[in-house]
Parts: sequence; structure tokens; C-alpha cells
Amino acid sequence: MRMFSVSHKTVFVVDHCPYMTESSRQQIECDMLTKSRAQGVIPLAPVSKSLWTCAVECSMEYCRILYDIYPTRKLVNYIVSDSEFHILNSWRQEDQSVQELMTALAAVGPPNPREDPECCSILHGLVAAVESLCKITEYQHEARTALVDLADRVANRGRIICLTNAKSDTHVRMLEDCVLETIQEQNKLAAGSDRLMPIQQCELVLVHIYPQGDDTLVSDRPKKEISSVLSSEVHSVRAGRHLASKLNVLVQQHFDLASTTITNIPMKEEQHANTSANYDVELLHHRDAHMEFIKSGFSGVSFTTRCQKDKGDLHMAGSTSRDSGLKETVTLKWCTPRTNSVELHYCTGAYRISPVEVNSRPSSCLTNFLLNGIFTFTPSEIIVISHMLSCHGGEIFLHMLNSTRSTLEDPPSISEGCGGRVTDYRITDFGEFMRENRLTPFADMSLDAAGRPPIERAKAQLERHTRYWPMIISQTTIFNMQAVVPLANLIVKDTMTEDDVLTCQKTVYNLVDMERKNDPLPISTVGSRGKGPKRDEQYRIMWNELETLVKTHVGTSERHQQVLECIIACRSKPPEEEERKKRGRKREDKEDKTEKNGKELEEKMWTQDSDRLKGAMEREKEDQSESEVIKDSPDSPEPFNKKPRLATEEIQPLEKSKGPVSLFSLWTNRITQANSRKHQEFAGRINSVNNKAELYQHLKDENGLDVHENGKATR
Amino acid sequence: MPTVVLMDASLSMTRPVSLEGSEEFQRKNLAVHGLTMLFEHMAMNYRLEFTALVAFSSLWELMVPFTRDYNALQEALSNLEDFDKTCLELALQGVSTIMQQEWGSACPCQLVLVTDGALGIGRGSLRHSLATLKQRGEDKKFPLPFPFPCKLYIMCISNAEELQTTDAMDNLEQLLILSGGEGQIFTMEGPLCLKSVQAMFGKLIEQAYMPFHAVLRCGHLTSDVQVFPRPEPVMIDEEVDPVPKHVLTELEIVGFIEIADIASPPVLSRHLVLPIAVNKEADEVGAGTTDEMEEDTSTNQMAGKSPNFCVLLHGSLKVEGMVALVQLGPDWYGMLYSQADSKKKSNLMMSLFEPGPEPLPWLGKVSQLGPISDAPENPYGEDDSKSPFPVQPKSKRSYAQNVTVWIKASGLQTDVQKILRNARKLPEKTQTFYKELNRLRKAALAFGFWELLKGVAELLERECTLLPDSAHPDAAFQLSHAAQQLKLASTGDSQYAAFEHNITPMLTDFSGGGGGSDRL
Repeated sequence: MRMFSVSHKTVFVVDHCPYMTESSRQQIECDMLTKSRAQGVIPLAPVSKSLWTCAVECSMEYCRILYDIYPTRKLVNYIVSDSEFHILNSWRQEDQSVQELMTALAAVGPPNPREDPECCSILHGLVAAVESLCKITEYQHEARTALVDLADRVANRGRIICLTNAKSDTHVRMLEDCVLETIQEQNKLAAGSDRLMPIQQCELVLVHIYPQGDDTLVSDRPKKEISSVLSSEVHSVRAGRHLASKLNVLVQQHFDLASTTITNIPMKEEQHANTSANYDVELLHHRDAHMEFIKSGFSGVSFTTRCQKDKGDLHMAGSTSRDSGLKETVTLKWCTPRTNSVELHYCTGAYRISPVEVNSRPSSCLTNFLLNGIFTFTPSEIIVISHMLSCHGGEIFLHMLNSTRSTLEDPPSISEGCGGRVTDYRITDFGEFMRENRLTPFADMSLDAAGRPPIERAKAQLERHTRYWPMIISQTTIFNMQAVVPLANLIVKDTMTEDDVLTCQKTVYNLVDMERKNDPLPISTVGSRGKGPKRDEQYRIMWNELETLVKTHVGTSERHQQVLECIIACRSKPPEEEERKKRGRKREDKEDKTEKNGKELEEKMWTQDSDRLKGAMEREKEDQSESEVIKDSPDSPEPFNKKPRLATEEIQPLEKSKGPVSLFSLWTNRITQANSRKHQEFAGRINSVNNKAELYQHLKDENGLDVHENGKATR
Repeated sequence: MPTVVLMDASLSMTRPVSLEGSEEFQRKNLAVHGLTMLFEHMAMNYRLEFTALVAFSSLWELMVPFTRDYNALQEALSNLEDFDKTCLELALQGVSTIMQQEWGSACPCQLVLVTDGALGIGRGSLRHSLATLKQRGEDKKFPLPFPFPCKLYIMCISNAEELQTTDAMDNLEQLLILSGGEGQIFTMEGPLCLKSVQAMFGKLIEQAYMPFHAVLRCGHLTSDVQVFPRPEPVMIDEEVDPVPKHVLTELEIVGFIEIADIASPPVLSRHLVLPIAVNKEADEVGAGTTDEMEEDTSTNQMAGKSPNFCVLLHGSLKVEGMVALVQLGPDWYGMLYSQADSKKKSNLMMSLFEPGPEPLPWLGKVSQLGPISDAPENPYGEDDSKSPFPVQPKSKRSYAQNVTVWIKASGLQTDVQKILRNARKLPEKTQTFYKELNRLRKAALAFGFWELLKGVAELLERECTLLPDSAHPDAAFQLSHAAQQLKLASTGDSQYAAFEHNITPMLTDFSGGGGGSDRL
């Protein structure tokens, strides 16, 4: 729907002239005597509403439905007219509520029957209505500001609903002419103003109200174009019930609403608590919630049968008409949900609802049930065949569920695709990561020191938390160690406190302690043969990984830097590295400089890291020739059951990645990798252990000797 | 988005195309050649698409119902027989029925109409159908526009010049407009030969059947993915913002939300997110779906064994019962979640929300969603016992507050009865009595219904006289006080008729409790 259609702005102009005090002659008995007290008491005379009261309460009902279904963006301006006009509210969003209007109406009060009828006219109000339509709304202003040069795309259209008691058809024509004239005048004025907009289209809806029992002096007339800007329609309605149903029909037409009646809702009776009777409740909502029915109705495909086939016991009846064809409503049968579980339904639309009779017992029973559902954890959702009623934060929505065959049925399972054969994903850890990165709403315009809105801060946090995040268990040591958790949690923070640094340092000392005591590490033996790396080698790998993690955060703040320094100071360096360090002192100085730059270093870390990954991938590639037992599900990580490999091979690629990678070696690696894909690898090399292939294996096999095959001890 | 291939099997399709030297082709052969190319492409790169084949002449026949078995489609195509004259209207009617029977009336579809541009003669010809468009009853409406959204691709086995010699081109253009304007008419360029039919179908593939590749990103964790079906561009407001929005090829995760909090949100469309292996050296992309061609098996196996972020994400979303909020473009978001197809199979699925800053009222503005670490205290509680969602709207809806509506007499009667019921139970029900009284008073003042105020005042006065001897003395005081206040309000006197004013219980010696009853 277009944002700035006619329904963006509605002006109510209600006649407040003396003749509106006339009674509607619809009598209401409000003294309902109970039988026991009836004796000897004279009942009170029935009361009756004035034309004014009828007009006001029906227009309030129109607004109630409108605000329920469109809490924003559809605006009402309420004007009453007697010897002058009174504007009761503005276009501003905060003025848009029934409460606001009721307060203003109470201040105005009913028309004064003693006022001079000659001075009073609905014309004052109509002129004010046109002027009001020219006033720019905050939404129009916002859209115009956003579009700058294309501001003329923002249209100015509106509707005037005039509730009055006209004298004759000629009188009606006079009113129309007056509106048209005023529009033309105001448009000229508006063309030269920034705060006003010329009216492009205006719909005038004249509702002539007359007391019951009188003959109407004004005839109904369907919508007709009076000029290119103005169209007009006339409704001649008796006050009371008829006026109410007329305005109900109008609000549906004006805002594309449709009606759904939910039938057979079981409700407990007050008197008989253990029995329940069935009630019907009629709801209004946007008509798109009936899309499926409307369309299938047109094309003659029977929806009922489809529903029965797909959904078993649920079924829906077709549309029925009531109120002598005036009102169409789709009837849906109530169905209490069977399960309590939280499910993600495929929902193609959700539409706010408004009950037609908001304070009738069945209506309020249903809405209270839904509203309170979220607090008591009783099922708050009720599946009504193809639809579901659900409450979100005090608002009830009619969800349209998809009930047809899905075009996405029978897709390949995720375990069959890329990465589907890997079994040791850090599912639980990533779950924890997701919990830490859950979102929460912040107040409007809450920017941080850097001027970032909350969503950008959320992205920044994800970036920080994933700078070093190995996806599988066998790729990491530190994340498998409980001892590292405090540091790993703190180092990703944007700002660290002095205490945080202390905690990190403690973690590091603790690790040093572990190393001194020669505690075993949960190092992965995947891809390594034999017993895996020696203890001191394990610690070296662990320290390297820890350093990698911390280095990615070193640029964040001075304190992050302190943690890295602590690690570098505490970790034991293998002898050959010490040596190299001496040799490379000069180069390290250079690195120190870049470290301050932070970002550059980060990039370097990534190259090194990706090399490491590449190494791991190459190892995987080699693995592939071996037949392994592969678990299908990625959800059940089983990391440690892979075949061990010789330790030496594990270390070598790591060693290589230690130093800076030259452009040449990067390039040769790339070329070799690319080339290796183009030819089939020698069987010997594939089966080689540590790049040494054993020859004449079959001889040994035949001899039944205990030999090494593929690096694996066989019998 | 399922595809229906509507193949013209009329006699005119058997017209030979004149070619020098080479063997003789019929137009039908060219059409089959083009469709073969399309089917081969789909089998390779778009194999999750459901496709049906319908042949038509004066009648229509569903040759192959919706399937992903492209061999079956191919086979049916090669066994296609020749029939009589062209009657497009009936065939379109058939397509409409087939589509709705299978997919309902909301599922968008692509219709590939293959014809030579000879659109029939006399009754049942397209020309005749279009000419009589306006003279039809409800039951004999022209099938276009379809009830479901449809993109119409018209593949003409003929060149534009030939079509323009007759009114065929005009008729086809009119047909395209009738169907809603989405789609295109393709004609062959140059001589009618295999090469030009390939070029034409190549254009169709380019436009409608190119797989959508994107990078799924969560901070530094990334995965190359195919999104199926292709996300369609979306138009928000054709007047203010007439440029359709496209889903970016970089899908950035912005955070995570519990399934209960996102609460079955309305979505524009759903898509599978399939991880793919991208061979960067060769700069070509292999589809990540399962049973690939033989030669791809090895690369696939390798891809299966290297860790992929999608699989990790899917696993954790499934285990934790959460969704990932993903940014699709400026002010456009969607969600990623695990969707189970059966007990064993599940998949990473992406749903697109309506574009805009606030697609779901219960989440509030998406730009205002931030990390929980920024909140003064964890909004989910230390033990995950609470949730910051749903976001409460600024104002309550009518059904969530005690509104007064007297449109029906019963509404008014109930409200008056409530007051009287409480009046009879004074002083126990003093609070409720005044609450109901004030509610009625407010509504009566707003509606200018002063007569009612007088009426209720009289009722209360009468109740006062009817009080039994056993009644508490406070009841009489409160009743006459209330009646008096209502009468004052009904005069419209600004001192008593102010809307915000509330009638408060009269302070009597009894209202404090039993203590001072003897000081009357």
C-alpha cells in the first residue's frame, strides 16, 4: 500500500450546531429491574441519545478501530463546527489516541441549544478541514527531508468525513462547492509555503444524520468525481444503530479491512463453572489476511478440501454474508493448540486485529485470554486453521500461515553439503557465543561515544569476538582448556579494566604453573600419528595459539597490549626460536613499530593463520584417501577418534608458518596447490608417511609380517 | 519459484527453417534444442527448481508434472508429437489450474512460453481472445492475470521482423502487460539456427535462472553460499521509493535472538542457504548441492571435509533454539534458522522480512538492537529467566484497556447494571463502585450524553430510598453523594464536568472502619 494514500490523513468534521441536540429517538432502557425488586418500584424513563452523541460515539468507534489496526502512520484530525471551528487535536503522532479525543470532546460538550442557529454552520469546519489537510504531517516531513531533490514524490492526499444534518440535496451541493473552492484557494497558498502542501486528492464523505422516524431530506449518492482533486459521496443514515454500522462499513472500506468471525470458541460460564458454551467473536484486520481465500474464491479452487487434506482435523468454512449483504465475514473455526512448544511457523503475514464489539463478553474473554497468555505461559497462540492468533507485547496479531505445498521440500541435508562430513564442530561453544551475542532493544537514539547506533555496536562485537575463532575442536587447544576461559572471555572486550588485566595475567601464570608441573593438555591428536606431540611441544602449540588470540586484540587498547606482553614474558621459548630471535632482532624492531599500528599486524596474523589453516586442509586432503568411519551428523562431535599420526609431521608445517611468509613462498605454495589439483597424485606420495613411501609393501603383507601401512600399525 | 514450460505443439511449429547446406530443421527442433539447453543448465546449477512441462495446441496436456527430474522433462520433450492449431487461452487456463492445484494461489511462478509466434486464427486465437476481453462474464474471464504472481517469459522461435509483419508482436506485448508486466519477450536475432536459439535461451538463463551466490558473514567467520530460490527484488512504495530493493551478496549476521522472542514473524519469502565450495583459482563456482556430476565428486568430498561456517551455525542454531538476525541491505533484514524437513534432514534456512527499519513491531527498530553487554544488566537475567522482548508499544490497544463503547444498548445497560450491583454492596464495594461510576461519567461527558448522567443520578437516589434497614449507614451517604456529583456534572458546569476530574468517595465517619459509628 502506498504510504501517502488518501488514508494517510483523515479529517472528521462533526456538526456542533444547535439542531444536533435533537434526540435520535432511539430509546435505551437502562433501568433493568431484577424480578425480586420489581414490586412497587416505578422504572426510570428510558434515555435517548442526541444526534450529537450518536455522531461522536460512532466517530470514536471509527477511530478506535483505526488506531487498533494502524497505531502509527494513519492520522486523524478532529474538528467540530458551530459558530466557529474547534480543532480538537493535531496531526502529531502523540495526539493520535481515542483518549486524547475523548478529553477534548468532553471539553467541548454537547451543542448549546440556545445558540443562534443563523451563526452556526458546518462550513466553518469544512474550511478548517481543507486547511488542515494542507498542513504537513511529521511523516510527510520526514519523507520529504529524506528524498531531498525528489521531495515532490511525497504526495498530499486526504479524506474528509463530515457528520452533519443537511437540509437538502442543494445544501449538500453547496457544501461540496465550498470544499472545492477552499481547496483551490488553499492550494495556491500552499504552493508558496514550506510547511504546507497543496492537496492532490481529496475524498469528501458526507454523512447526513437524521432522527429515527423522520423521512430523509437528502438522498444517497455514490462516489463521484467533482473535479480532478475532489471526489464526493453522500450517505443518508438514521442516527443510532444504522449510523454505527455505516461507519463500521466505511472504516473497512477506507482502510482495506476485512472481517473474520471466529466460531465455536469454548468459554466457561460464570454460573456453571464446569461447563463451557461456544461463542463467536468477530474481528477486523487488514484484508490481506484473507488473500488466500479471496484468490482461490476467484479461481474456483476449493480451499476447504486442501485444508482437510493437509491439516487433518482442521477445516474452514467458506465466506458467509450477514447483515443483508452489507458485511462480509470469513468464518474460521476455533482450534485450541495441542502443543505448548515454541515453534517457528512459516507465516506469510501478521495483521493487527480489532474486535468489532470490544466490550462484549465473548470478545473481552478472547482478548484477555490472548493478552494474558504470555504471562501465565498457557498457550498464547491459537491456530485457527490457516491462521493463528498471537499476542506480542499487548498487541494481538492474526498470523496468516502457509498451508500449501512448499517449493523447498526435500532439500539436500546440510550434512551432505560442504563441511557436512566434519564431525567435531564446536557446536556448544558457538551456542555460548550466540548467547553472548544476543540482541536487546535500546532506547531511541542511544549512540555510543563513537556515535554508533546499537546495531553497529552489535556488529562490532561480533567482529571482535570472531577475530580468532577456530570452528572445530581439533583445530584448537586453548578453547578446550578450562584454564584459558577467563582470559578468552576478557580479551574480546572493547574496554578492559585494570582488574580484567589482572585476571588475564593470573590466567597466564596459571598456565605457566601447569607447564612447570607438566600437566597434560587436551591437545588434539587428530591427524597426528603415534602418541602425538611431546609434552613440551604441546605447550609450545598452546602458547602459540594463545599468542595468536591475544595478538588479534592487541590494537584495541593499552591494556590488551599488557596481556600480550605478559604472555610473551612468561611463555617458555624453545631453544631454536630463541636463537632465531637473536638473529632477527633487527627485524623485530621493525615489527614493534608496526605493532603500534595494530591493524597492519592484524593482517599479518591473518596471513600466518590462514597458512596454518591451509596446512590443516592439506593434511585433510591426504586423509581423504583413507577410508574412515564418518559420522553423518554434525551435531555429535567426536573429535578424538581419528587416527594418530607421527608427531614430526604435525610440527613441520607449523614450524614453517612461524617466520614471516615471503611473497615468493606464498606464490609457490599457491602454484603448487593449483598444480596438484590438476594431476592425480602419485599413489606412493599419497600413501607416504612423512614424505617417505615404503616400497614393496605387498611383499610384507604376503609374508604376514607386522608392518606399517599408511603409517598405521596393522596386524 | 516453480517453472511451467508451456510448449507450442501446433502444426505451425513444424515449419522448416531454411538453412544453406546443413540438414533441415523444423522450428520445433530449434525450440527443443533451446529447452534442452535450459534443462541442462537447471540440472547443473538450479536443480532444486520444480519444473512442469505442458504442451498445447487447441487442447493442452500436462506432459510432466512438477519435478526436479530433468531427465524426465528432457525425455518428454523429445517424444513430443505434433498437433493442430494454436489456442493459447485454454492453455493459460490450464497453467493456472495446474499451478494452483500444486502450490496454492500465493506461490510465485515462472512461465516459459515457447511458441513460433503464429498465434492461431479465428475463435481461440490470441487475437480473438484479446479482442473479446471486455465482453466476458465472471465465469469466462481471461486467465491472465493469474491469481498468483507470475513472471512470463515468451520465447519466440522467430525473429522480431517476422513477428512485426503480423500483429503477433502487439498481441504478445499485450499478453505480457495483462499478466502484470513481469517478464520479457525474447526473439531470435539473425537467421533461425541453432546458434541464435542458443543465444536466446542464454539470455533467458542469464535473466531468470542464474543461481544467487553470496557470502554469509558473522564477524570474521564466513562461508560462500547459494541462496535458493533467488531472492526477488522488492518494491516498498512505488510512489515514494520506486526503486526495487535487491538482496546484497554479502549477508551479514548482526546478532542472535531466541525463537520464542522472534515469535513466528511474517516473512516475504523463504530460502535455502546452501554452503558452496568456491574454487577461487579457476574463478568458477560449483553448486554446493548433493549428488553432483561424476567428475565433481572428488572436489565435493574435499569440500565436505573442510569445516564450513554454515554447518557450525546451523548446528548451534538448532541446538540452542535460536535464530540469527541477518542484514540483507540498507534497512532490510531477515533471519537464519534451522529448518527440519524430516527427522534426519535439516537445513539452514533464511526468511526475508519486509524491508524497512521496523519489520516486526515486537522487536522495535532493528537499528536500536544492540549487544547485551552494553546493557547495564543482562536483560535475559543471569539464568535466562526473562527476556527484553516483546517490545511494548507506546500506547495500549482498545482491547487492552477498559474502553467504554455504547454503540449497542447492551453495552450501556451492562455498565449501568455494574454500578447498581456495586451500589447494593456498599460500603464493601466502595472502590469498585466509584471506579465504574467514574468510567461511566467520563464516557458520558465525552459523548455529550448528559441525559444519562441525570438518569443514573436518579437511579442512585432511588437505590438510596430502597436501602433495607440492615444496610450500613455509609451506603446512604455514598449513594446520595454520588447522585449529587453526577447531577452537577450533567449541568456542564466546568467546575464539575471536567473530564479529568474524578468523583471521590465521600469522607464519612464510617469510611475509616467500624470505629465512629455512634457519632452520628
